[in-house]
This record gives sequence, structure tokens and C-alpha cells, in this order.
Amino acid sequence: MKRGNDLLVGVVVIGAIVSTTLSVAWVKQSDIGRRQRDVTAHFRDVGNARVGNAVVVRGVVGGRIQAIELAPDGWVNVRMKLDPSVRLPSDPVVLLNESSLFGDWQATVVERTALPADAKVRAEVSEASTENGVLPGTSLPGIGELTAVAGQIAGDVATVATRFGTAFDDAAARELHESIRNVSVLSATLRNVVGGHASDLDTLSRQLQRAIVTLDRAATRVEMTATRIDSATTSDNTRRAIDNFIVASAELRHTATQIRGLSARLEVTEAKVDDFLSTGESVLKKVDRGQGTLGLLVNDPSLYRRTDSVLTELRALVTDLRANPKKYISVRLF
Amino acid sequence: MRAPFAAIEWTGSATVGAIRSVGSAARFIRDVALGLREMRVVARESLVQARRLGVDSLPIAVFIAIFTGIVLALLASYSFTGAVPLYFVGTLVEKTITLELAPVLTGLALAGRVGANIAAELGTMRVTEQIDALETLGYDPLSFLVAPRVIAGLAMFPVVVAIAMIVGCSAAWLASISLLQLSSQEFAKGLRLFFEVFDVRYGLVKSSSFGLAVTLIGSSRGLDARGGATGVGRAATSAVVYSAVAILTLDAFWAVTWLLGREGP
Repeated sequence: MKRGNDLLVGVVVIGAIVSTTLSVAWVKQSDIGRRQRDVTAHFRDVGNARVGNAVVVRGVVGGRIQAIELAPDGWVNVRMKLDPSVRLPSDPVVLLNESSLFGDWQATVVERTALPADAKVRAEVSEASTENGVLPGTSLPGIGELTAVAGQIAGDVATVATRFGTAFDDAAARELHESIRNVSVLSATLRNVVGGHASDLDTLSRQLQRAIVTLDRAATRVEMTATRIDSATTSDNTRRAIDNFIVASAELRHTATQIRGLSARLEVTEAKVDDFLSTGESVLKKVDRGQGTLGLLVNDPSLYRRTDSVLTELRALVTDLRANPKKYISVRLF
Repeated sequence: MRAPFAAIEWTGSATVGAIRSVGSAARFIRDVALGLREMRVVARESLVQARRLGVDSLPIAVFIAIFTGIVLALLASYSFTGAVPLYFVGTLVEKTITLELAPVLTGLALAGRVGANIAAELGTMRVTEQIDALETLGYDPLSFLVAPRVIAGLAMFPVVVAIAMIVGCSAAWLASISLLQLSSQEFAKGLRLFFEVFDVRYGLVKSSSFGLAVTLIGSSRGLDARGGATGVGRAATSAVVYSAVAILTLDAFWAVTWLLGREGP
């Protein structure tokens, strides 16, 4: 009876010890009795890497970190146990990086040519390269650092969104719409006024031209008559009067020529104004009909509401992003 | 004038009583430790007590662990819906069971079973004067009766708790793959994610202290039993109550002294 009791207690105790040890070994993925090879890499900083973290080669767990030790000259040596079947790249480099958002790290063995295109990373690896069989390594930024940068970006976006929202509110949109409508009305009025005056100017110009032609003919006739009189008369008084008349006639012709040039320039200017107003009116009509970006913005109230809604959602998103960055940012470095 | 004096008198009396309790408890522990000198007797009796306190307590411990594991897995999956990956069920189960639930729930169950058993047994021996007879025959009751129980409690509580840990995690695993949308690989991934050997060590050391407390309290209450069957019943009840209080107090003590400030994985 006593022997049976002792046996039972012994079985339970040994069973508990063995099963607990095996369970722990299984959970820790310990490789009891397996031959493994040691690989050492050295780093300036190992981040949050810990003994027991996985060593990943081409995406597959090929070993574990066995020890992390401080080395001379500001270096840290990381000793890794690798499965003998794992073949390292020809020029291997070890990167320590986070394997998930939840703080667990891993050592990733990559080919030197496959390093991230980051000057700092490459410089650190280059500095860590030695000739004595120790692999060079560096640690990549953690989620904390990336989250801090993301938070800063989110803050900037929030500031821009706030400013945009402040500048382009409901009242501003209404005022813009109203201003464009006022310009349209003013343009139409101006065009009507200029159109009416243009016909008057045309008439005036034509009449003036006819008058100048008539005047020119009259002056020519007067000059011919004066010449004839000059030849017919010889008295000084008559001659002086005739000379004065000739001078007056020449001045009259010069004036007529100037008025003709002015009339021509006036026609050109009128044509340009007419063209400009036609173009402007065409643009404003398009805006008023809701064509184009400006027309849509001015005439479609739902667009404004959607813009306002987007801004509100963007603010909420930024706030939530600041509060829960891990919810949005999933960083997988490898 | 009488009230202030009464208050002062009550304070003094309470202080003296507390000091006396602490002193008698310390003296009792010292006597038990001295009783370990008779190692041959203690060792022989310890195995018997190990069977009664430890092996015979396995069914209740396993029963509690199975249901704790299942419920914990379901609660975790309910809490993690959406935001947290479901494989964290394994993480939560491992951490909760090894660090807290297996030691404390098993300890409380054993406080009821073992503590009451010891108090009732020793109390009966006390009120029927069997202990006086042992003393008359030259046996030290602390060496012969108490020390083996304390040794057995100290040694067997971690054994029972270790089995409870394995059974609890296994039950949660089975519940996860059969009741939840979780594969074995995912559960194992979560289980391994933040596992540290320290978790097991912490739970086992804690449970060992529970075993020490439960057996010491049970023995103390039993040896102090007076007044026949009523006294024995009272001793058993107080042993369970004091043991439960001691377990919860020790649980907090270990958390503060060993977990606080310790860096996680």
C-alpha cells in the first residue's frame, strides 16, 4: 500500500516535471539535441532584439538569437544559432527589424545587394563590415519611430485641412458665387453700352469721312481757283489774300488727314473691345451653366457640401490616426 | 470622559492582539521549522501527505483548468473581435493561465479542499486528545503531523498547478480550433508570441507559497481547535477563510515584488 502510494506520487511529480519541461521547450521552439551552427553578427545598436527572437532567411525562420553581448569599441555582438541546412547568401548582412506591430523583433539575413536603399543603413552596414567572419548588421527603425513620423505628417495634414476649411467655408462659397454673377451682369451691361456707342461711333466716323472727302475736294477746287486768280491778278493785296487762302487750305487738308487716321484707329480699338467682351461673356456663360471646374464649384451646392464633408471626415481621420496609429499603419518591412 | 479612555483602551488592546497574533504565528512557523529536524519521520509522512494533498487534488484542479481554459478562449475571442488579430487568443490564454488563473484558482480550490481537510483532521485529533497522547508518548506533533503536511503542500501545489497550466492551455487550444475560426498554427503562434519561461516560474513559485500558507494555516487552526465538533467545524471554516485571504494577499505581494517594474518580453 505504502509502495503504491510512493509510486503514484512519484509518477505524478515526474510526469508534471517532464510535461512542463516539454511544454516549455515546445512553446519556446527549443531545438534539444539538434546540431546547429553559430553565426555572429555585430551591430552598433540592436534596438529591441532579444534572445530567442527568430532569425529569418528568405522569409523562413532558420534559427534563433542565442546571445546578445556588448563588444569593445561600441559594438554589440549577436550570436545566432542556425539550422545546418540553412544556406546563407553569398555576401550576407543581418538586419534587425520589427516583425509585427506588437513589438516582437527578428533578425533578417539578406544579400548585401538587397539592402534597403537608405544611405544611413548602407553606411552602418559598411562600417560594420569586417574581415574576421563576423557578419555586418544594422537595426532598422522601429514602429515607434515610424509612428512618430506618421504622427507628424498627420499633424501637418490636419493643419492644412483646418486652414482650407477656415478659408473655404459656406459663406466664402456663397460670396464667390455672387461675385461671379455680378461680374456676368456687369459684363453684359458693358457690352450693351459699348455696342450702342459703337454704332454711333460708326455713323459718326462715316459722316466725318464723307465730310473730309468733300472738304478735300472743296479745298482742291479752291486751290485751283486761287491759282487761276493768281495768274489773272497781279495786285499785291489780292496776291496776299490768295496766299493766305492757300495756307489755310493746306492746314485744312492736314487736319482732315489726322481725323481720318484717328477714325481708323478708333475702328481697330472698337473691334478689339468687342472681341474681348465676346470672349469674356462666353466664359461667364459657361461658368453660369455649370461647365468646367469653376462652374461646378459655383453652381453645384452638393459639391461644396461634399467638400465640407470630406474635410470633416479628414479631420476625424487625422484625430483617430493620432489616437490609434497602429489601426491604420501596418508596416511590414520584409 | 469615559469614551476617550475606552477608545484608547480599544486601540491598545487591538494593537496588542495583532502583535500577539503575529508573534504566535511566527512562533508556530519557527516550531514547524524546528520540527523538520526529525527528517526521517517528516520524509516518510510527507509522501503520504503528498498523495492526499497533491495527487488526490488533481481531479478538481484539472476540472477547474479545463473550464477556465475554454471560457478564457471564448472571452478572448469575444473581446478581440475586429481590432485585434484572433491569434492573440493564444497570447492571452498563455499569459493569464500561467501567471494568474492556474495558481490562484487552483490555490483557492485547494484551500477549500486541503485547508479544511487539515484543520478538520488536526482539530479532531486535538479535541479527542490524540495529540496530547502523542506528546505523552514523546512524539513532537509538529514534526509528526504539521511538518509533513507543510512539506507536501510546498512541493505538491506547484505540481498540481503545473498540470493545471498545461491542461488549461490545452483546453483553450481545443476550444479555439473547435469553436472559433482559429487554426492550431495561429493559436500556437499567439501562445509563443510573448511566452517567457519566467511566466511558468512565477506561477510555480507563487503556487508554492500558496501551498505553504494553506498548510500552515490549516494546521494552526486545527491545533487550536477547542470544544468538540463545533470547534472542529469552526476551525475548518476559519482555515478556509484565512487561507483564501492569504492566497489573495500573497498573489498581490508577488505581483508587487516580482512583476512590478519587470520588463516584458
